[in-house]
Amino acid sequence: MLRIGASIAGCLLAASLFVPNTSSAADITLGASVQLTGPLANTGRYYKDAYEFAVDQINEKGGVKVGDQQRKLALKIYDNQSDVNLSVRQYTQLVSQDKVNFLLGPFASNFALADSAISEKYRIPMVQGGGASDQIFSRKFKYIFGTLAPASDYFQSTVEMMTKLKPEPKNVALLYADDAFDVSVAEGTRPLLKKAGLTIALDERYTSNATDFNSLLSRIRSANIDAVLVAGHETEILNFVRQAQSLSVSPKMYSFTVGVPSADFRKALGDDANFAFGMTAWLPSASLKDKWFGDAEQFAKAYKVKYGYEPDYHAASAAADVEAFAQAIEEAGSIDPQKVRDALAKLNFESLYGTIAFAEDGQIHLPQTVIQIQGDEVVPVYGKQGFIKQPKYPMPAWNERQTIGTGK
Amino acid sequence: MSLLAQVLLNGVLLGGLYAIMALGLALVWGVLNIVNLAHGAFIMLGGYLAWYLFTGLGIDPFLGLPITAVAMFALGYLVQRLLLNLIVRAPMFNTLLITFGIEVVITYVAQLAFSADFRTINPSYAGNNVSLGPVIIPEVRLMAFGAAILLTFGMWIFLLKTRLGRAIRATAQNLVAARLYGVEPRHLYATTFGIGIGLAGMAGSLYGAVSQINPYIGAALTAKCFAISIIGGLDNPLGVIVGGIALGVIESLALLYVGATFGDVASFCVLVAVLIIRPSGLLGRTA
Amino acid sequence: MMGSKLSIGATAVVVLGIAAVPWIGSDVVVQFGISTLLLAVLAQSWNIIGGYCGYASFGHSTFYGLGSYGVAIAMAQWNLPFAVGMCLGAALAVIFAVLLGLPILRLKGHYFAIATLALALAMTAIVSNIAIAGQNIGLVLPPLNNDLLFYELSLALLVAATLTIFWLTKSRFGFGLIAIRENEEAAAVMGVNTTLYKVLAFALSGLFAALAGGIHAYWITFLDPDSAFDIGLNVKMIIMAVFGGPGSILGPVLGAFVLSAISEVLASEVTTVAGLFFGLVVVAAVVLMPRGLADLFRRFRVEGWRYFVNNIKSYSL
Repeated sequence: MLRIGASIAGCLLAASLFVPNTSSAADITLGASVQLTGPLANTGRYYKDAYEFAVDQINEKGGVKVGDQQRKLALKIYDNQSDVNLSVRQYTQLVSQDKVNFLLGPFASNFALADSAISEKYRIPMVQGGGASDQIFSRKFKYIFGTLAPASDYFQSTVEMMTKLKPEPKNVALLYADDAFDVSVAEGTRPLLKKAGLTIALDERYTSNATDFNSLLSRIRSANIDAVLVAGHETEILNFVRQAQSLSVSPKMYSFTVGVPSADFRKALGDDANFAFGMTAWLPSASLKDKWFGDAEQFAKAYKVKYGYEPDYHAASAAADVEAFAQAIEEAGSIDPQKVRDALAKLNFESLYGTIAFAEDGQIHLPQTVIQIQGDEVVPVYGKQGFIKQPKYPMPAWNERQTIGTGK
Repeated sequence: MSLLAQVLLNGVLLGGLYAIMALGLALVWGVLNIVNLAHGAFIMLGGYLAWYLFTGLGIDPFLGLPITAVAMFALGYLVQRLLLNLIVRAPMFNTLLITFGIEVVITYVAQLAFSADFRTINPSYAGNNVSLGPVIIPEVRLMAFGAAILLTFGMWIFLLKTRLGRAIRATAQNLVAARLYGVEPRHLYATTFGIGIGLAGMAGSLYGAVSQINPYIGAALTAKCFAISIIGGLDNPLGVIVGGIALGVIESLALLYVGATFGDVASFCVLVAVLIIRPSGLLGRTA
Repeated sequence: MMGSKLSIGATAVVVLGIAAVPWIGSDVVVQFGISTLLLAVLAQSWNIIGGYCGYASFGHSTFYGLGSYGVAIAMAQWNLPFAVGMCLGAALAVIFAVLLGLPILRLKGHYFAIATLALALAMTAIVSNIAIAGQNIGLVLPPLNNDLLFYELSLALLVAATLTIFWLTKSRFGFGLIAIRENEEAAAVMGVNTTLYKVLAFALSGLFAALAGGIHAYWITFLDPDSAFDIGLNVKMIIMAVFGGPGSILGPVLGAFVLSAISEVLASEVTTVAGLFFGLVVVAAVVLMPRGLADLFRRFRVEGWRYFVNNIKSYSL
């Protein structure tokens, strides 16, 4: 048995030394480990689709100019099955075995947090559009850049809007899941609420992937809370809304960090999604001009034609990551990781995602626009300049909703 | 005071849902000694089936329960007959391993077939409730509770009073004797497992109506069902009602008084405590 | 057979060969190697309590996680060196094993398995509420870019674990464990202090799992409750131990190497269906070769392809 074991070990060893290197010399390869299966695949797949879409479009427009050569972009994507440990190993493989030129990020802050250690270790720049938690950027790493606005700023425009609503909400409930992103959101939102003079009547951290919000909702009802801010994941917010309905809990308003911009969230809730507030740093507006796509509106239309669903800010953020690399490579005139990293740090250009410019710590800063679901549409209601459109406030009680005329 | 009443009520109703979820697992475990780690995955499949019935054919999730039950029964029968029967007499943890493997396979196939989108079953009465004084009772949960009581008592009567039920219990207890009496054990085992999966399917239908379904809910549901089955006790099918309500109330109170992150801590600590102090559960016979 | 000089020599050569891999192979092979070696340690640690003592624990990831957190808290929160962290993790695991082992080891069969699983689930929930452990967000450790060190450390740990099992097979303690596995009541009657032996086995087994967890945490530089107490690990280590041959000295190691190789090849070549194949492999292995690779090699020569059919016949209804 020992002999057999030794021979197996020997074969594996021999096989490992002869793994071929398959990347082509002319293309610039971007590597990523994304959640294509597993609980986070719901949003993870947007990243793969958007990366592919952006790479294809850039290639179609001639590729990337490096010095006086036009080179094409290539993608290498692995499925990390929503497992952080596997994603770390896959990024290591992308760098050391597949020898990709640059790295694109995964979805979710806890993944970005772990995976950015690899980009830092191997000194290959990573631009990620899936992690907004401040923790990712507080470690003084030089090789990580992010196109999602800081988590702590997510509710800023919402809180500003709340002070201008009539009647102003008397008290606020702040609920947040216990993962990196949502804890960051809560930490940033608390001082904002205090500064705005709003009373925080309920401040609760809940377990990620919780399915039972009945206790929290009962407390909201019993304390007559006017405004509810929830920082969580789509599945939790879905449960929250459904259970709010079944317990007849309807505060004057509620706002969620995720879900509202996504088409399948609205589809899953149907009419019950109405009146919910959310925020997005990106809207498919024609005023966001882009070198490769024309503008954000054209990007969104073409995207929907190809993939069958409307892109939300995750997809736009992912496309922005690819564009950031393309732009940085052209400005650096080379594919040397150090030069491209420096070019990324100095970037400042307009794209379908807005102005792409990274702060000192590597994170982008974009203002969030407050949006609300009204009928079948997502309507921007409050932005940098104040009210864009009047929000439907206060939210009617659940049993009165039919008479407000929202459709079916 | 009314907050406490509401939270207690929430806990009891949740318990009803929990009881239906765990009934299939407890049945298969208590009677056949098969620990089904894929139980939650079958609940998930039942949920998807109910979703297709509802969105495709407009069949109400409660009225469609018999259809879901029969379809899932067939699936369970086949799984037991063709696969699990092959390892029934192996050491116990082989069933743990194989059902884990089955869980992985089912989850992946579901992901391929249904995509990672989450679905909800949203009948028009999904958000309705009735008020009883200061307390609000969601209708769907109340109906699920009623269904739980009916199904559990039905299972109890089936196992203790009907011929088929007694034959199943006899076979599980003494294989050789059962064979001598002309009972076909492979068919009986498959039937029992089928019933267990049929119950899981029904639970999935109800779960989809109160929460949402995606391919990955299986593992967490299985863990919950374990806790419920053990706390209630595997000797008696009525145990899941006791276990379910106990767990539902404990969790709800923990969420209210300790903190919103302590639901799972409460459930699993109670599970460990029950295993240490009284492994046969609240309704179990032996100490 | 293991006592002969030839076998010891051969084993030493194999170990040296494995130790030399980082100098011959690529970075990815080293990564794969570290991961496999740690899994092999886990499989061996399970072997002590599950294979030799007969108490199939389904929650060994509890100790693995405790070891990981010991290192993480010591290094990330208190800025202590790695070695101190390992001692902390080991201490936590042993204390846990003794305190909880005493009540839990009174359970038999599947109740014991479920109790250990419940323990792992409870630990995940509890740790995600502990502030110093970073709650559910977890902790980020100081990075160390030295895969060679981790590789050799893991190999050393595996050698230590295997030597411990080797010692076990020769010692009174080991015979006591086997006696407990075969017939606990008879063992007690013959004077074996079953409680003491079981708890010691549990603690020893937990110790190795914790050390493996500590190395893993420092290597990955990141942990959170779900990944530290990963339930899937339990199945992996049991499958590897059973696949390789439980209650044998090298079986779990072999099982770990072979299954890891299959799993990594799948994960890197076929990514999307990798998980699916893993599930199918598990199902197939339990049905076709429930007694492990060792048994397969021994009896295949005699029975040929009918070996698989015979297995099914002996275990099916």
